[in-house]
Amino acid sequence: MWFKNIFVKTLRDSRIAIFGWGGGLGLMMYAVLVAVASLTSTPEARQTLISLAQSYAFLAEPVRVDTPGGYATWKYGFTILIMAIWPLLVGSRMLRGEEDRGSLDVLLSLPRGRTQVALQKLAAMWTALLAMGALIGLFTYAGGIKAQANYGLVGAMLFSLNLVLFCGIFGGIALLISQFTQRAGTAAGATGGLLFFFIMLDMLHRVISGTEWISRLSPVYYYNLSKPLIPSYGANPGALFVLFALATIISGIAIWLFDHRDVGDAIMLPRWLRLPERQMTPDQALAPHSWSMRSIYLRGLAKVIAPTVWWTIGIAGFAGWMIIIVKQTESKLAELLQSTPTLANLIGNVGGGNAETNATMLSFFFIILPLLLMAFAIAQASRWGADEENGLQELLLATPQPRWIVLLARYGALATATVFIGVLTLVATALAASSSGIALNGGNLVAATLSMIPLGALVASLGYLLSGWLRTAIDTGILSFLLVAWFFITFVGPELSFPTLALRLSALYYYGTPLLNGLPLVNTLGILVVAIVALVLATVRFAQRDIGR
Amino acid sequence: MSTMIEVAGLTKSYGNKRGIIDLTFQVEEGEVFGFLGPNGAGKTTTIRILMALLRANTGTARIAGKDVWEESVAIHSFVGYLPGELALDPDLTGGQIFEYFGNLRGGIDQTFLKQLIARLDLDPTRKFRQYSSGNKRKVGLIQAFMHKPRLLILDEPTSGLDPLNQQEFGRMVSEVRADGRTVLLSSHFLSEVEQTCSRVAIIREGRLVRTGGVTELKDMKLHEVVMTFSVVVPTEAFAHLPGVDHTETLGDGHTLRLTVSGGLDAVVKAAASYPVVTFSSNEPSLEDIFLRFYASESGPSANTPKPKAVSHVV
Repeated sequence: MWFKNIFVKTLRDSRIAIFGWGGGLGLMMYAVLVAVASLTSTPEARQTLISLAQSYAFLAEPVRVDTPGGYATWKYGFTILIMAIWPLLVGSRMLRGEEDRGSLDVLLSLPRGRTQVALQKLAAMWTALLAMGALIGLFTYAGGIKAQANYGLVGAMLFSLNLVLFCGIFGGIALLISQFTQRAGTAAGATGGLLFFFIMLDMLHRVISGTEWISRLSPVYYYNLSKPLIPSYGANPGALFVLFALATIISGIAIWLFDHRDVGDAIMLPRWLRLPERQMTPDQALAPHSWSMRSIYLRGLAKVIAPTVWWTIGIAGFAGWMIIIVKQTESKLAELLQSTPTLANLIGNVGGGNAETNATMLSFFFIILPLLLMAFAIAQASRWGADEENGLQELLLATPQPRWIVLLARYGALATATVFIGVLTLVATALAASSSGIALNGGNLVAATLSMIPLGALVASLGYLLSGWLRTAIDTGILSFLLVAWFFITFVGPELSFPTLALRLSALYYYGTPLLNGLPLVNTLGILVVAIVALVLATVRFAQRDIGR
Repeated sequence: MSTMIEVAGLTKSYGNKRGIIDLTFQVEEGEVFGFLGPNGAGKTTTIRILMALLRANTGTARIAGKDVWEESVAIHSFVGYLPGELALDPDLTGGQIFEYFGNLRGGIDQTFLKQLIARLDLDPTRKFRQYSSGNKRKVGLIQAFMHKPRLLILDEPTSGLDPLNQQEFGRMVSEVRADGRTVLLSSHFLSEVEQTCSRVAIIREGRLVRTGGVTELKDMKLHEVVMTFSVVVPTEAFAHLPGVDHTETLGDGHTLRLTVSGGLDAVVKAAASYPVVTFSSNEPSLEDIFLRFYASESGPSANTPKPKAVSHVV
């Protein structure tokens, strides 16, 4: 059944994503809807919430934030747009990824037109998005019932439809960009950058008055025009149509271009849009003397540079931004915490101190930093396993380099990248604290930023270790699950009165609250020891086993 | 002449699946050794064990007297390797790939490298992903040859190369042989093996079927004899003669086709009892031998080699 045609085969490939993204974001919606009651338990708390939402209006327009639907719409105003990551990955790989692998040649040798092949694949993406949307809608509806919200099933489904249409646009954009790039990853990266840019573009009119016309250039603007979870606001059919039309037009252009170009080739951009090409003679090509070609470590470093830069901007930027936000909203946050004991308890438990101090608030936010660094480490560790599956280790191991050096050199490059991110985060946070006038203990700030490095190293070691037995996809899946579990244990465990033994199962437990209480030396050393042991085991395993493909 | 590769009782399985079984052969220093076998026969498994990418379950494999697993680093310093499925970083140019592997190996003669590039007519300025499959193969060949290794292990080296470059490759192998260096290559191109190799091993379903010199294999007394008589001759007249493996009547019954192992003396004498119109015997090419060893043992026709060259016609 699943191999009946291209459409169902492509849909089959998305089955895990449907449940992962749909279920995950649906549960997130459910959780936030259920939490609203505790935030609006008293009139004062309600007022403070409204006031706080106004402070963060640049993120999302606050409309009826004291209602479950209004709060969820505001709270996940742009956060839920992360769902667009899935279609942008799918859109970039839909044709270009298959061209990269060479499998499109075979597919196009079948008695089916190119347009039909592309349309079936696109239809599968849309069907998967709609299935995700249905799951999110159902969870949102269930959360609404639990929170006694004033929207019904139609409102919940319109909310998810709005999201699906928005995500479909980014699938289309990725598909379009992939017609101009040689690699699916380039198209995905460029589309991700556009997603970020469009979110910022939409924010502009909420920060600077008179710039609404600029924000209208962003699909996010039209997404935000519909707020179906707020019955008094409702869905905007015109905006929904704009999203649908954009998705259709962009995808249509992409498929038309695909139909008219050579398979395996990219459409040539106009000269003025092309990056300057470096002309080389064969002699120059033979003696490039690139620094990255000198050793396996340097080659590994060269491969990790680009993602490191992006993750550094994200992690260091997030840390610096949090410092500035906390400073700017400290008075309103204090009021909210005074009237919302649940939130104060959560921040106090995770942040490790009195929730009314800036340091505690920051400590609460800073727990995200090692989480992000570990996510980076997972992504990069997965490349180690992927290289082997792609056969890239074969020739490397045919050179007179011991296997343990090959592994440690690559690991060393990743470790260097994590240290770089840690140090840059320290610099960014120190500058942000200094410029915003927030008083932070210098030693604790160093501890908070640099002590996340061992956690990154731990996850990388575990990734390398697991790759000794498992395929990359499974290895990455297990580590990602572990990361989510650790996050859950750390953030929800204290509220649910988990025993200390259970809390200790999370690696984040050992990170502690360094911004407030300094470096937990024993715990940090413990993490380092576990990371080293895992790395040693990974090295021994790699030195002993068959090299697969 | 010393032994370069020494394989004894080598066995490798992948769980329940067969890899290679009890493989034993030797490659002497200075010879070009061909490794023949159909897909999935175990050629690549053997080669990957020699390169210490796989570990054998039992048996030993030594290169220049060194254990291929325990002393792999030392071995790799004098081995050039071309895998069957070549994968290299797609974002590196040919030039960068040679520089990288040159740095990891050390001792690359840039002049020699340039000569190799010129001989195979490769553009080193292009990225690996931009090369055609034939050009990718050239990159693989150049990186295998560029450090003038004592031993070259090449898994289907000419796969994807055009005839001109196949010829050039043949010349490169001849030069290696003339230098007294050793080559182990697997191939499906039998004519290439016939021209390039001094000795051949045939592997089927994980087991070594035959090892011998190319001439030795060709001298196997397997002949296809086709005789036309002016009268109808029963096949029974030849079926029980020594060496006759298979008899077949063609056309109107005046022509017989025999497959004969060993000498033709008995067949010629028996044929002389009848009025012979034509008598032809086809000497087996290496390909015929190859097919004979590969063919299923169940069907007689599968064992019958197709005529290649008529060597004796009466």
